[in-house]
Amino acid sequence: MAQQLSDDELSAALAGDPSGFSAVYTVISPAVLGYFRARGVDDAEALTQDVFVDVLPKLAGVSGGHAGLRTFIFSVAHARLVDYRRRAERTPHLAEYDPLNDARYSASAEDEVLGSLGGISDTLARLNEEQREVLVLRIVADLSIEQVAGIMDKTPGAIKQLQRRGLSALRELVTEKDHAAS
Amino acid sequence: MTGTRDPQQDGTIQAMLGDSGLESAAELRSALEQLRAVVPDAAPAPRADLAALLAAGTAGATGLAAAPDAATTTALPTVASAKNDADESLPAGVTSLAGRRGRKRRLAIVGGAVVGAMTLGAGAVAASSEDFRHSVSHTVGVIFQTPGHGTPAPEHVQPSPSSVPALPAPAATPGHGTSGTPGADQSGASTRTSSSTPGATAAGHAPPATPPAVGRDGILPTPGQRPGAPGLPGSPDLPGGGGNAGKDLPRVPGHITPTLPGAVPTKAPGQP
Repeated sequence: MAQQLSDDELSAALAGDPSGFSAVYTVISPAVLGYFRARGVDDAEALTQDVFVDVLPKLAGVSGGHAGLRTFIFSVAHARLVDYRRRAERTPHLAEYDPLNDARYSASAEDEVLGSLGGISDTLARLNEEQREVLVLRIVADLSIEQVAGIMDKTPGAIKQLQRRGLSALRELVTEKDHAAS
Repeated sequence: MTGTRDPQQDGTIQAMLGDSGLESAAELRSALEQLRAVVPDAAPAPRADLAALLAAGTAGATGLAAAPDAATTTALPTVASAKNDADESLPAGVTSLAGRRGRKRRLAIVGGAVVGAMTLGAGAVAASSEDFRHSVSHTVGVIFQTPGHGTPAPEHVQPSPSSVPALPAPAATPGHGTSGTPGADQSGASTRTSSSTPGATAAGHAPPATPPAVGRDGILPTPGQRPGAPGLPGSPDLPGGGGNAGKDLPRVPGHITPTLPGAVPTKAPGQP
């Protein structure tokens, strides 16, 4: 995340030269992986690699420099996430046996404490779908409001509104959880 | 992970909070920082096909096919095609048939839906109203009946008047047999005695025959009027008297004799 693409690597990648692919993957794939993880995808790494297998051969048509490249990659990632959600709705949910999820046993006190401290994904899951998407794209993917508006096919004003409502809802959830934990 | 975060990213969160007027919410800020910490530090290890794609770039080769062993089998033409259609997944020169496929099926689906909807509607109407069922069965019967059967159907209404005069008919026929032409009488007797349906046709012709009979009685108005029917048995006598009546004679028994049974029975009971 801390790394940035050099201009040479960027221009090589945007020219469709495969020599820039590795740099693009190294710099941007962690954000894509985090995006999928924050949205609760089962196999986030596989989906990330699907995105890059899709994206890398098509970089030649991308314009807009660093921001354009990020927007393009996260547009594909967003579409892949939507595909994943639709596919997951149709397939039965398979889960391995997890003793922690077995309702016949009571949870340990340590697990309860740890679960209440971490688990930002659980908190996010209680938000509205669009608010969650805006927050994840803004923070995890590190995109501007205009970029998020382009990806989600909305106006920047609508994205701002979604972000404001999502933040206030998240704040209520967080403070509520703090009160419950204390 | 906290150490690796640079101030520029903190600035993003700060700007977001400032946009929403929530700068003072410390717990919200920590939650957002947790969310940012979801992003891993290092890129995930690429799997085989992606590794081949990346290796093609680092090795300086120009091949970028998505096949797993693309590193060894790089082909220049595929590079050219992949560059040309950067936005299309189809190779150059290949047109998609998806639209045509859908169009053909759409026609069949729409036709089936229309036929099904019409069947449902007609079934609903038939189920709700009994009159509709009757009228439909009636029209179907009329359509599929042969035209020969079409005419007797209305005449079956009238056999009852024709059957009633069938009894006095023998009384009338001898009168004809003696006086009138035998051919016409045989035909008239045969029509009466044979069956009800030809008699019905004769009786059916009788009512239209009476108005011309009245018109023809313009020659002999008063005697023909009341005993119009008895005057007709007298009409065989006319050939001896009237010349123009003789022209009518071959016609008259054929046409008007059927009127006799209608009128005679009323007289026959009256005379005795």
